[in-house]
Amino acid sequence: MRVIDLPPSLEDKTLDQLAESIAGWPPEPFILDGRAATWANPSGFVALLSLGDALRDASLPRPRFLIPDSPETRSYWARNGFFHHAAETWEVVGKVPNKPFETPTDVLLPITPIRVFDDVNDVVGKIQERAQRILAAEVNLAPQATVRFVMTLSEVCQNIVEHAGASGWVTVQTYNWKKRLGRKVAVIAVSDSGIGFRRSLESTESKKVGERWGDGAAVELALMHNVSRYRDPGRGQGLYHIRSYVTRWQGKMSVRSGTARITIVPAWDDDTLLVEHLPFFPGSQVQIIIPAQEEGSAS
Amino acid sequence: MMRRIELAPLLRETVSTPYSDLVTRSTGAALRDRIEQTINGASYRTIQLDFTAVGVIDFSCADEVVAKLLLRASEGEDSYVLLSGVTELHLEAIDHVLERHGLSVAAFPVGDGAPRVLGATSPDLAVAFQAVQKHGAGDAKRLADAVGWTVERAADALQSLALRRLILAAGGTYRPLPLPADA
Repeated sequence: MRVIDLPPSLEDKTLDQLAESIAGWPPEPFILDGRAATWANPSGFVALLSLGDALRDASLPRPRFLIPDSPETRSYWARNGFFHHAAETWEVVGKVPNKPFETPTDVLLPITPIRVFDDVNDVVGKIQERAQRILAAEVNLAPQATVRFVMTLSEVCQNIVEHAGASGWVTVQTYNWKKRLGRKVAVIAVSDSGIGFRRSLESTESKKVGERWGDGAAVELALMHNVSRYRDPGRGQGLYHIRSYVTRWQGKMSVRSGTARITIVPAWDDDTLLVEHLPFFPGSQVQIIIPAQEEGSAS
Repeated sequence: MMRRIELAPLLRETVSTPYSDLVTRSTGAALRDRIEQTINGASYRTIQLDFTAVGVIDFSCADEVVAKLLLRASEGEDSYVLLSGVTELHLEAIDHVLERHGLSVAAFPVGDGAPRVLGATSPDLAVAFQAVQKHGAGDAKRLADAVGWTVERAADALQSLALRRLILAAGGTYRPLPLPADA
């Protein structure tokens, strides 16, 4: 059995390293070795859970996951519910701290499965009081921006149910990005194990696009041109609204699907707008980062 | 005859949620079905959608509940929809989805705030709408005098408002939609 190392620091970019190690889909059976891992961001957690879902959905053998050696890392991953959820699809190997669930203070929404529309209703209902308090106090978001934050969360979770054709995961957390940005940020991370943007739009869009058709073109159509597989003119607006919210609040948004990633890049970042030919990772992953607003900024 | 529909309680009857947020397209479609069941076969000329106690409304749900209900209402010859109990939590989503469909609706905010047009509108329509609300029934000449326009410009604006069912028209005169029933 081959062994794949989990990147020590798992986030949206190092996910590409993991995808490269998995080497295609469906993959040969593997053990995921997370013993050297010391940190994962929200995108890392939900992507790992979606990877487990995708392996299960592909009827592949239940993979083993060797949990981190670091007691601090184990403790955090236990408290935020990661091990609890991972046990549904991974054989979790190692001594998981036997502590009761206790949402860390920087977590606005613990790791939560999204399977049906009712889950979205619950997410929106549960997050509001905490979101309004934390986003106002720590991220300096005006009340109206907090409402849009919740609407954005709702739309991005709905995309899983409506378009992915599979289950997904969401979590929301705040971070202090002192070195990188000098400010706090709020992060929404969503991942699913579904069909991805390309297959979702293929029947209606591939011929129109022609030779350029692929994961990158599909994400671009959905994110930048509000294209939906539905003909209803009210459809295709979810990602548009998310994008406009992110832009208005100088946020960053990235959408990875299959082998491509498109990023809405704010002035404070130098990421690449479109990256294609990435190693394949199942489903779609969305990350939205809203930085703390500076005094006197838009409200 | 006006029928007031309180959305928050209707939401809890329709979907199994303890919350009062109008989110997801599925929730919106289910709620619209309930609203249509409520008004089907009855002779209500005006439907008042009361947003009192509704939390957040997202774009997908606004599209299903408000935009699609307005589209259905526009198929009837003499039916009107107005919104009441609207707060800042609701304005953006409703305004945007209606604009996307080229629809408009009269919205009465919580408290004593002035009614406003949400969705597709223009500066002339907004001015004419406010003037009709303030001055009450009248004709194009009355509006023209009130806002300093030509009669032709006033007549155009009033006709557009009437076609969008934001005011009532009868025999060359215009008047505001009935005020919403209190909560």
